[in-house]
Amino acid sequence: MIVKDAVCPFCGCLCDDIEVEVDGDRVVAVTNACELGTKKFMGEKRLKNPILRDGDAWKDITYDEAARYAAGMLLSAERPLLYGWSGTHGEAQCVGVHMAELVRGVIDNTSSVCHGPSILAIQEVGHPGCTLGVVKNRADLVIYWGSNPIDAHPRHLSRYTRYAEGFFLDNAFRDRKVIVVDVRKTETANIADEFVQIKPGGDYAVLSALRAIVRGKTETIPRTVAGVTREQLVRVANLCKGAKFGAVYFGLGLTMTRGKYKNIRNAIELVSELSRHTKFTISAMRGHYNVYGSNEVNTWMTGYPFGIDFSRGIAFYNPGETTAVDILARKECDAALIVGSDPAAHFPRKCLEHLAEIPVVQLDPYPNATTAFCNVQIPVAVTGIDAVGTAYRMDGVPIRTRQVLSSGYPSDREVLLKMYTLMQEGKGQ
Amino acid sequence: MKVTLAMKPTARSFIPIEAESIVPKNFLAGTDLVVWRGNRELRLDEVFTVTVEGHADRSENVEVVLSGDDTFRLKRVGEYMEAGKITVLGNIGMHCGNFMTGGEIEVRGNADGWLGREMGGGTIICRGDAADYCASGYRGGRKGMTGGTVEVFGRAGDFVAEHIAGGTVIIHGSAGDMPGAEMHGGTLTVHGDCSRPAANMKGGSCYVFGTAQGMLPTFRKIGTVQHEGRTLIRFVGDVANRGKGNLFVRDYVYLD
Repeated sequence: MIVKDAVCPFCGCLCDDIEVEVDGDRVVAVTNACELGTKKFMGEKRLKNPILRDGDAWKDITYDEAARYAAGMLLSAERPLLYGWSGTHGEAQCVGVHMAELVRGVIDNTSSVCHGPSILAIQEVGHPGCTLGVVKNRADLVIYWGSNPIDAHPRHLSRYTRYAEGFFLDNAFRDRKVIVVDVRKTETANIADEFVQIKPGGDYAVLSALRAIVRGKTETIPRTVAGVTREQLVRVANLCKGAKFGAVYFGLGLTMTRGKYKNIRNAIELVSELSRHTKFTISAMRGHYNVYGSNEVNTWMTGYPFGIDFSRGIAFYNPGETTAVDILARKECDAALIVGSDPAAHFPRKCLEHLAEIPVVQLDPYPNATTAFCNVQIPVAVTGIDAVGTAYRMDGVPIRTRQVLSSGYPSDREVLLKMYTLMQEGKGQ
Repeated sequence: MKVTLAMKPTARSFIPIEAESIVPKNFLAGTDLVVWRGNRELRLDEVFTVTVEGHADRSENVEVVLSGDDTFRLKRVGEYMEAGKITVLGNIGMHCGNFMTGGEIEVRGNADGWLGREMGGGTIICRGDAADYCASGYRGGRKGMTGGTVEVFGRAGDFVAEHIAGGTVIIHGSAGDMPGAEMHGGTLTVHGDCSRPAANMKGGSCYVFGTAQGMLPTFRKIGTVQHEGRTLIRFVGDVANRGKGNLFVRDYVYLD
């Protein structure tokens, strides 16, 4: 059987033109997807049933037993951490927020270690953004800053920028200019019209310098800024001012380097300055397929996009204090529920030392690095493959993923609802 | 009146305790107060050994002394404080002196993040080091500190006095990255070194008596000035945003 127009649940591009050939409960071929998406559809060895740590071994348990363990763990904790959420659908994220409020825990999603700084900057100066379709059809200048889509979002270039047709561009490939700004010559830099190589940690200074040049204050700028010559900065500023429609896409090269959210704020303010001359927009290259959704769901339910502390019964938000890495590094939580992410593969060692000391329950289809820290792991269906659910694309467009096969695994939402019901009973509600 | 709160050692030692009830005014009506450890509400005497000496009918005459090895876990001590005095003999946790408008807080040890966040008045003295966001604003806020004084005798972390709009901040040691970011009023003085001071400033004055590392390229050099017996180089900026702030540094290095 061939399923057409399937949605790829890998990166924030959320490509919705995938063809998947299914034989029984197995994907046998994938068309249109990039290598990353294909690998995800083809799957790997999944966990068969929930497992419980029993000394040095694992014991098989039922879904009910696993849910009871998780509910008990969260109810008895004084400051439980509910982390992850970017690798699951919006409906499950909703249950997660309700759970966090009920047990008065802290709920955080992976944006605190990826584009959280972008959100902090947006909270300071706003977000002049647009959808990917607008960029595809109108943009004649695209800037990739601190992001390398050829490796991380392989179809971004072909669907929306470098290699895409544009409705309002006669010859998109010729008319559309691409600028890449990075600390090293990446694969994406090789296909750029202009490559700006910055010394590590120099993004903020370069952005400030560009803002000053766009404002006509070139004479203040030193001869070189973080390894970039003033001549090149002037050339880039002129390219931007001369464009009919410019779009900036930034990645973790900007959000997770020195200055973090101040870099993004500076980039947004550069875009605002450029919008005095022409039309310019800026957007984040979101990683997980539904990390944008976790911000959306959290925001509409609690008022804040990530790092929400319910311990006092009301939502309190302060990244740097109520975010997962900070809480774990400071040993400020006493239980953790991990959903749809793999913190053990990405967090600093100090965080993992604490994760090893507290009870941990993880919902994930596959054994991963976090499995080593778990007391219980519950395998679930993969959204977009054997479960349906809503995800948000990197530009904020919600897309309903499709189920391409049936596996019998429960979805994240089903498992979480089971836990939530037990927790409500435990609280006498 | 002197209220001594000696913190009891506990087993679950790292869950933070939110103690915004510890302000001098609250002790006028007794010591029947609550604090929160994670999601659990606790009576003050479950966490501290409480001793009260003397009597007072005005907050100005109340001094609260916090002691114990675990006071670094206490958050929000002195929040919304209007008058009186709080002395912390050891280290203090995050958000000490948030929104304070009067009175004095003295921390003999180190202070954790957000010391004196969005402070409006009064005095905070930290004898040790202050962590990140000392005397800063809140996430997404446009105005940080608007008045009062914060003096740190040790070092300070990153983003000291971010969004400062009024008041005085003095760091006797070195400061981290981006002190006085988005500054639009008030005065920040760093006696030691720091990096990228006064980023995107609009107004106010920032003094660096050491070296400004990674000096931003968007400040216009005016010339040298004499200040408190020191020769400093004066810059105006941040020109990236039409800013009219003053940045004085003894010495600077561009990231070029």
